[in-house]
Parts: sequence; C-alpha cells; structure tokens
Amino acid sequence: MKQGPCSEEDCFSLLKQFEHVLESDPLIDEVGFIHPSQFIMLDEEASSSNVYQNEVQPNNGTSRKFWNKDHKLGISTDILVQLCKYAKHVFLLALDEYKCHGNISCSPCTPESEVMKHSQAVLLLSSDFGTAWNARKLILSKKDQLSAFTEELRLSGLILSNSPKSESTWSHRRWIIKMISQRFSTPQEIITKESELVESIGERSKMNYRAWYHRCWLVSYMEIEQRLMLKILESLYVKGGNAYDKSEARKIWKEELDWNKELVERYVGREALWLHRRFLSLNWIMYFACNDSDVSPEPGESIIINEEIAIFIDNEIQLLESSMTVPDTKFEDFQAQALHAAVYMLWLTKKMPELWRMLEEKLGTEKVKCVMSTIALERPSLLHHLVNV
Amino acid sequence: MADKLVADKHLRYILNLMAEKKKESFESVVMDHLRMNGAYWGLTTLSLLDKLGSVSEDEVVSWVMTCQHESGGFAGNTGHDPHVLYTLSAVQILALFDKLNILDVEKVSNYIAGLQNEDGSFSGDIWGEVDTRFSYIAICCLSILKCLDKINVKKAVDYIVSCKNLDGGFGCSPGAESHAGQIFCCVGALAITGNLHRVDKDLLGWWLCERQDYESGGLNGRPEKLPDVCYSWWVLSSLIMIDRVHWIEKAKLVKFILDSQDMDNGGISDRPSYTVDIFHTYFGVAGLSLLEYPGVKTIDPAYALPVHVINRILFTK
Repeated sequence: MKQGPCSEEDCFSLLKQFEHVLESDPLIDEVGFIHPSQFIMLDEEASSSNVYQNEVQPNNGTSRKFWNKDHKLGISTDILVQLCKYAKHVFLLALDEYKCHGNISCSPCTPESEVMKHSQAVLLLSSDFGTAWNARKLILSKKDQLSAFTEELRLSGLILSNSPKSESTWSHRRWIIKMISQRFSTPQEIITKESELVESIGERSKMNYRAWYHRCWLVSYMEIEQRLMLKILESLYVKGGNAYDKSEARKIWKEELDWNKELVERYVGREALWLHRRFLSLNWIMYFACNDSDVSPEPGESIIINEEIAIFIDNEIQLLESSMTVPDTKFEDFQAQALHAAVYMLWLTKKMPELWRMLEEKLGTEKVKCVMSTIALERPSLLHHLVNV
Repeated sequence: MADKLVADKHLRYILNLMAEKKKESFESVVMDHLRMNGAYWGLTTLSLLDKLGSVSEDEVVSWVMTCQHESGGFAGNTGHDPHVLYTLSAVQILALFDKLNILDVEKVSNYIAGLQNEDGSFSGDIWGEVDTRFSYIAICCLSILKCLDKINVKKAVDYIVSCKNLDGGFGCSPGAESHAGQIFCCVGALAITGNLHRVDKDLLGWWLCERQDYESGGLNGRPEKLPDVCYSWWVLSSLIMIDRVHWIEKAKLVKFILDSQDMDNGGISDRPSYTVDIFHTYFGVAGLSLLEYPGVKTIDPAYALPVHVINRILFTK
C-alpha cells in the first residue's frame, strides 16, 4: 500500500485528531483500519446525530480520516503510513525528553503524559513496537494505584481487538498481571476476566497460539479447582503435593477419554483430537488402569496387562476398526480419519510393544496389513524407518 | 509451477529491500522495529547464495553498531530498546562479515548472561518475559562469542528439558503446547551445549515428520495448521539435528519451496501464490540449503549461519 508524502503540518494535524478522538472517548473497545470508501457506508448506517462527527472533521474540509461511533474507532487506511511514521517520531522525541529531564515541566503537558499519549497512538497502529510498550512499563512501574494498571489492561485489550496475535501486547499483559499480583495481591476477578478475554479472542481466531499460551500461563495464577489435565497428572506424582486424590483424578481422566471419543466420532478427520487421544490413552494405561497394588512402570519397562487394560485396548482396537471403515472415498475427512486412527495405533504400539500381539490377535494379519498400508500412503518414509528398526 | 531456484531474482529482491531508505508501505513501517532481524535474514540469504559482496559491508556494520545500547544489548533499530532477539541477529550479522572483533565481547556477553533467571530460564530483556526462544538465543550467541561459561549451562539445559511435552515436542515454557519454532530453539540449544541425549529422538522425530502435508509437500508448525515455508527451516533443522530427516519426503518439500517463489520479481512467500517477504525468502533458501539444493551453500542447522562462517569462528582463537 503505497502512500504519498505528507507535510509536517498535515501529519501533526492527523496525529492531533487521532489523539483527540482517543481522549474524548475513553470507552473505545474496538479499533480497526478501514478503506476510505467504507466511511461513506458507515456514515449512512450511523444516525445523523453522531455527536463526534463535527469534532472529528478537520477544519479545512478534507475527507474524513477517523470514524468513531458506539465506542468503535475506524482509521482510514490511506493515512496509516504517514500517521504511523509521524507518531513514532513524536513518541521517540517525547521519550527522550522524559528520560533526559524527568517529569519536570512548566506546562500542563508533562513529559510523562506526552509519552503515554504518543505511545498509545503508536501502539494502536503498530502493536509490536516494543520500545513503546517498554516506555509505558517504565512509567507504570512508578505508579501505585491499581487503576493505572487496570486501565492498561483496557488499552492492551483494545489493541488486541485489531491485532489478536501481537506477541508484544500479550507479553505486556503478562507484565501487568505480574505487577498487579506483586503489588496488590491477585483479585481472582481479574484472572477470570483475563481468561474470558482469551476465550473470546480464541473464538474469533481458533488457532491463535499466542492467545492460548497466555491462558496456559494464567493457570499458575488460578485457584486449584481451575487447573488442567497436566496439573492433575503432575500433582499425583509430586511426592506430598496431592491436590487431587487418585480416584477423583481417575474419574476426570475417564470423562476426558469418553468425551474425546465422542468428539472423534462426531468430528471426523480432526488430527488434533487423535493426537490428544495418544496422550490420554497412554497415561490411562500407564497410571490409572494399573491396580493400586501395581507400581507404574518406569520408561522402558513392560506394562503388565491386567484385565482393565485389556478391555481398554480392546475398545481402542474397535475404535480403530470403525474409523478405518471409509464409507465414501470422495470425502477427504473419512480418509483423514482412517489415517489418524492408524497412526494413533502405531504410535501406541511404539510405546507399548505388547500391543502388537493384541492387534494381530484381534484384527488378523490381513487387517493389520491394511492399517500399515494406509499409513504407507501418506507417510512412507516414517513407516519405512519405524518398521525396519 | 517452478522447477528451479531463481537466485538472481531473489538477489535483486533483497538488494532493493535493503536499499529502501524511505519507508513507503505500511508493512515496512510497522516492521522497522525489527530491522535488525530483517537485515540478518537478507544478509544470510545473500551469503548462502554466495552474494554477500553485493552489499556495502561498512554501511551495514556501522548501522549495526548504532543499534547497540549502553547495556551492551542491541536494539532492532537505532534509538530503540535492546532485546536478546536483536542482539543475536547483530552478532550473527557481524559473524557473516567476519567482524566479530569490533565487538566489546565482555559487554555483550554480560548483557545476555545478566538475563538468566534463578530457574535457568532466560528473559528477553529487563522486563522479564521468559520464553525458550530466549534460552536458545542466549546459548547460541554466547557460543559464537565463546563465552558460554558466563551462564549456568546446566540450569539452562534443565530448564529447557522441563519444557519437553509428552508428545516429545517443546513449548515456550513448561506446559505450553509444542510448536515447531519453539522445538527448533530447544533442540538447537541442546545441540550447541552437547545435550541431544535429553531428547527422545524417535518420539520428536515422529511429531516433526507429521508436520508434512502429503498433498503439497509443505510443512506446518503444529497439527491442523496450513503448511508454511518458514517451517521448512524450523522443522527441517530440528529433524537434521536429531538425525531423523529421512523420515520426511524431501523431494516434495523442495517442490513446495520452489513453488512458493515469485518467479518474476524474486522473493519467496509462505506458500504458493501468496505475497513474498524477506522472512520467508530467507527460510525458503535456508530450507533448500538443508535439503542440499545445488547452488546454495551449506547452512549450520543449530547456529543458522553458513557452515563456512561457523568453521571460521570455531577454528580461530
């Protein structure tokens, strides 16, 4: 997106307008970049009594660059380059001033407030500009009111509305929560709200690693009831650190296994569900299905196949069989399901060599060959090296 | 469909980017905070194509030095805050030009060593964010500078191993989901410190080779995601370090990378028919290097620098 040069005056005016809108509507909860042609459409949709309309109009009658209604802010894409460059430039000057001269000022605009104002503008346009986030951290670390930090959560939430994968923004939020917990103790409400924010962002872009990692990080701040499957496992094996008793953990684990099976049968061909099943099944066999008197095997040791484990494996083999029945080769999902189920079983046999024998007994040589050739179609090199070792 | 690497076009693409003084596109403006990374990607690609001489060494090196902060760390651009991400790229760039001798090694290494935490992990900068990427950066950088003894290597390694997941992969911190980028960092760090025995190579190799999409030949970064050229580096280098690269279909991956080139203007994109950028251009060429594509120099999978550069470092005092 190439844009023409902009005079210093024009840039100054744009930045002033932008910062003015932000200041006059402190409840803005969503920001986005919009093509100039969409402004007309937005104006038509909005009622004519938009109180901000006049304030956002530049005096010289040129076209609108900012749109603000119902606490939503739109920025015209045709000014992004100039605005961003200029805002960065002004921010860096203000930061320099703050670092050199501290917060002393004769005017009502202190160096500190200038840095906060300009960094906010820059970050809304360029959320990964770490130096701007750091400047805010520097200033915030000298504050002792909780409100300053919760306000910062609001701003970063606003930025995430436009840049949900911005790593610097998520990182900044973690810093805020850490500071809040160190200085004010951790109101669980903040943690819960944070978790909900992740969920809402996760809903919109389900594969957002940064968002889900953030939620994972939050776990350490949560009360025990909210902890995840891994923590359950962990707590059983940390000596003396028993948050769950074994029967409770077992019940939860079984529920997870059953639920995963339901999902696997309903959402055909979903790789992630099968991968999760590897984790669930292996740990079920290794830790939960063992009798209380049995000691869980060390890595490398054979697993004693008791009755419960035998039944479990039987059921898994049945699941494999049904998954490999491809009713319609036209749909990729069914073929994917067959592949994932086959690889799942192969993976388990690598962890539990005893499983091979049971597979051959239950399925017979022909069917086992069929399972292997399904894998050979998509992962020939993997199969070749695994089977020949 | 492409059947060869259009190296000359990529060369022109990179040189144009590096010469671009006034930023005119929004993409370049929002990326100028990571110009140091961009420079590393561009210059390493040039080096792999044996064209490093096409840029002005003095200009690049003096610009790099303007990015050094008083703490010893480097920023992504002049006047910005330092971070280990840019510090590694700066050191790697100087290594490419055989100019490590201009560094105050004590200063840079102290900056990095100072970021190690009690539990062995590393923060990215003074603000404390912890991530296994930073562990890799610290170890890689200090290894290049021959100052690994400034950190507690044992604790650093133990921390990385604590980030190992049940699927054999690694995440950004203990318990975080396995991700190919994080895996590269953890495996790379373990390789450099001589700790690859702490990796379950079969288990991880399996997870990694499952990143390949049979249709396109491309690799993704974790299950259910689309293939992307950058994973040609992260997944591939990890596989090579654990000696399991024969578990993927190499020829198909070569085809995927070649198909992702812009045959007219140069540059490589994340997958065929998308817009190119310097990031994917580097990872595409680096991936081809690992796949021993003719005309591309060999790259070290752990240090992410040409082998001749690493040899120069390792075999000189």
